[in-house]
Amino acid sequence: MTDTREMAETGLRRSRTWKATASSGAALLVLVTVHMIAHHFVVEEVGGLRTYAQVLDYISNPIMFAIEILFLVVVTTHAMLGLRSVLFDFGLSTRAKRLVARGLLALGIVTVAYGVTLIGVLAAKA
Amino acid sequence: MTQPGDDLEDIRAAREARGPVLRKSPGPTAWFDIRRTRTGHWAFSLNRLSSLGLVAYLYLHLAVLSLLLGGENSWHSFLKLATTPLFLGFDVLLIFGLLFHGLNGLRVALVGSGVAADRQKALFWSLMIFGAILLLGATLHIAGSG
Repeated sequence: MTDTREMAETGLRRSRTWKATASSGAALLVLVTVHMIAHHFVVEEVGGLRTYAQVLDYISNPIMFAIEILFLVVVTTHAMLGLRSVLFDFGLSTRAKRLVARGLLALGIVTVAYGVTLIGVLAAKA
Repeated sequence: MTQPGDDLEDIRAAREARGPVLRKSPGPTAWFDIRRTRTGHWAFSLNRLSSLGLVAYLYLHLAVLSLLLGGENSWHSFLKLATTPLFLGFDVLLIFGLLFHGLNGLRVALVGSGVAADRQKALFWSLMIFGAILLLGATLHIAGSG
């Protein structure tokens, strides 16, 4: 009975993780498209990359600032969920899976914190 | 206090809901098993590999953007390197990874949600053709700017 319950709970967690991965992936289809077009396909310079002044000008726009923060949060969430799936493919024990999940949560938080700080500092320079 | 998932009825309902097929994971070595020739196997393997490449790129991208903190000269030096033909080639590779991972992920999400579940091969190839057209357009745009 305990095994059955444990298996059922594992199934529920997998289902929730799958839904979170699919939802963040769907949001990314839009956000990546906006990000790529805004950064690489509307700028006239070689390679479509913005100059230093253009980057600061872009990030100082409150709408673009909010979109970039949202993009960072969603892409990091999706990346950590994906890494979790890949690492779980190694057939880890329950304890190791828990450690991996906590480690990835910490890595995701650090990544978002660094990214938000970076964007904030650049916006303040504008 | 009741925790989410404590109720066995919730657990059963979640297991019966549409979503991913719950099976024993084949493990990373199976990604490169050339004896498997089914489209679904290669789509899965390439999706995993592209995901790892994109995660690596996420951190590389953050590192590169950190150069902006060094001021205009620091960023200008990077721009000179980033606009060489080799780096523009990496841009095309990045767009290939994004398109494959995004469009194949869209197929997986649709099939997992019960949409076109019996036509997933046709869905896969339709999305890949769409992706190839977008990749061609992006490559021509990048080559034209170089």
